Amino acid sequence: MAQLNEIHNEFIRQEIEENIERPNERQRLIDNFAKSRPSMQAIAAALIEGEHATVDQLTRAALDEGIEALEVMDDGLIAGMAVVGIKFRENIIFVPEVLACARAMKAGMTHIEPILSASGIDPLGKVVMGTVKGDLHDIGKNLCIMMLRGAGFEVIDLGVDTSPDRFIDAVEEHRATLLGMSALLTTTMPNMGKTIEAFIDADLRDQVKIMVGGAPVTQDFADDMGADGYGKDALACVTLAKHLLAVK
Amino acid sequence: MTAQPMNSRQRVLAALRRQPVDRTPVCNPTSVATVELMDLVDAYFPHANREPELMARLAATGYTELGFDSIMPVFSIIQESSALGCKIQWEQKDNWPTVKMREPIWEKPEDIVIPPDFLTHPDTRCVIEAIRLLRREFGDEVAIVGKTMGPWSLGYHGFGVEPFLLLSLDDPGKTMQCLDRLKEATVAFGLAQIEAGADALTLPDHATGDLVSGEYYARYLRDLHIEFSQRLPAPIILHICGRTVDRMEYIAQTGMAAFHFDSKNAPAESMEIVKKRISLVGNLNNPETLFSKGPEEVRAEVYRNLEAGVELVGPECAIPLQTAIENLVEIPKAVRDWHREQATRN
Repeated sequence: MAQLNEIHNEFIRQEIEENIERPNERQRLIDNFAKSRPSMQAIAAALIEGEHATVDQLTRAALDEGIEALEVMDDGLIAGMAVVGIKFRENIIFVPEVLACARAMKAGMTHIEPILSASGIDPLGKVVMGTVKGDLHDIGKNLCIMMLRGAGFEVIDLGVDTSPDRFIDAVEEHRATLLGMSALLTTTMPNMGKTIEAFIDADLRDQVKIMVGGAPVTQDFADDMGADGYGKDALACVTLAKHLLAVK
Repeated sequence: MTAQPMNSRQRVLAALRRQPVDRTPVCNPTSVATVELMDLVDAYFPHANREPELMARLAATGYTELGFDSIMPVFSIIQESSALGCKIQWEQKDNWPTVKMREPIWEKPEDIVIPPDFLTHPDTRCVIEAIRLLRREFGDEVAIVGKTMGPWSLGYHGFGVEPFLLLSLDDPGKTMQCLDRLKEATVAFGLAQIEAGADALTLPDHATGDLVSGEYYARYLRDLHIEFSQRLPAPIILHICGRTVDRMEYIAQTGMAAFHFDSKNAPAESMEIVKKRISLVGNLNNPETLFSKGPEEVRAEVYRNLEAGVELVGPECAIPLQTAIENLVEIPKAVRDWHREQATRN
């Protein structure tokens, strides 16, 4: 078990000290950061601050130095997003700040994704994601997709206003084993249930796990609609995806 | 409470002023249009969002069929955005029209121009005409509530939610410039509806707790909302979805008549924060109660609001179009029963 003072980066130490309260999360972050290189901690710190230009520059520099793309992603970008996710969950930061962090993550991933794609690593699973019919909101869905891709999933993004038929076609075409639906409006939430019914009617419900999320969605609503799981935010979405596909 | 019987309009207006009422009014500051109601009066989406006569006919069902004390003809949140130039997906009978926010029309504050035909554009004129028709038909018996979108929501529509939120973080000065330009659309559309006969206006401005902090509300919107309550000569019902207890103190300072609050906020806790400085309207849960459960659960939620002292009872937001009528008529029924029980007890 590492100690906080074993983390080289002062900003990261402060972030953990001031913002991470749950003992298990705190210790996991301390353990991860304590064993990561200072240059990875610097990437994470810049990401937490939402400084996309700095993340871009530090990521390029790390890759130029010969650090593995996977290490830069895990110890720099994803480690930073883990702190961001917790701060968002605890209402310490809100969507504008998360969007700035996501923009920073994207800046780093631009350099990493081509390397990882070329390396031929098997994805953890295939996920089809989309916002339901009648709903054109996608911030939450996009954050989930970014985190899922970062965690090693292959994600097929259907965008917004997705009809049940499009969900079904995509699951069949890509042989996806997991489907994620998002809705931001209480008026469009029922379309989650309609989509699930369409999977039942198409005799495909047993072939795919279905997770739902979005600001007005709750665990009770997800249960009522017949979903397999509900994720409150992007961090929870990754945990849920791993759980539903029995991935460690 | 007052012993004098009131009609629906008197009841709503008194409750918005926190004056005595004969019973708590049932109000729908957003929309109670449903597919069943559309079938009942042959007025369907999308036409009921674009043709004044159909809009008025469908809106009236809130009063004539459901027994609410108010009529809200503006079912969506996109009428003025359409007039501002946003691209709209008008959808079909069973879906809401939406702004295509992936196709933004503005990139910077200077791009925001309120077109000269803003109030004569078919989609704003439709609302104004529908209010006139309703006023003509119902006179003073029921409260007719209009709707004008706040500048924060219009910012989402014109810039796209993500670019607008990032702008608010990257450049607060430019964000304020945007809000300053957009507020004129809010005022102009609001005034036109009041002139047409609206008794009150809902002003949705989606600085929701699901997106931004309470501090954001105070920084960007509190002063603008104070300005609206001064410039619009009718009671204003501010509508913000999501958890909002962290900004209710600021909202209570705006001078608005009422705040339409979401079921994510406990009625008693909310009443405690606003301390009678603003009336509360709400906050029956849409997806889990009105849409998914039955009259008994609806009744329990109505009672929870009444016991907390909420001034006007109604759904938390625009209801799903597939909501059953039996759940909606249960709301005024439960309100009447609760008051009867209270009277018997006293």
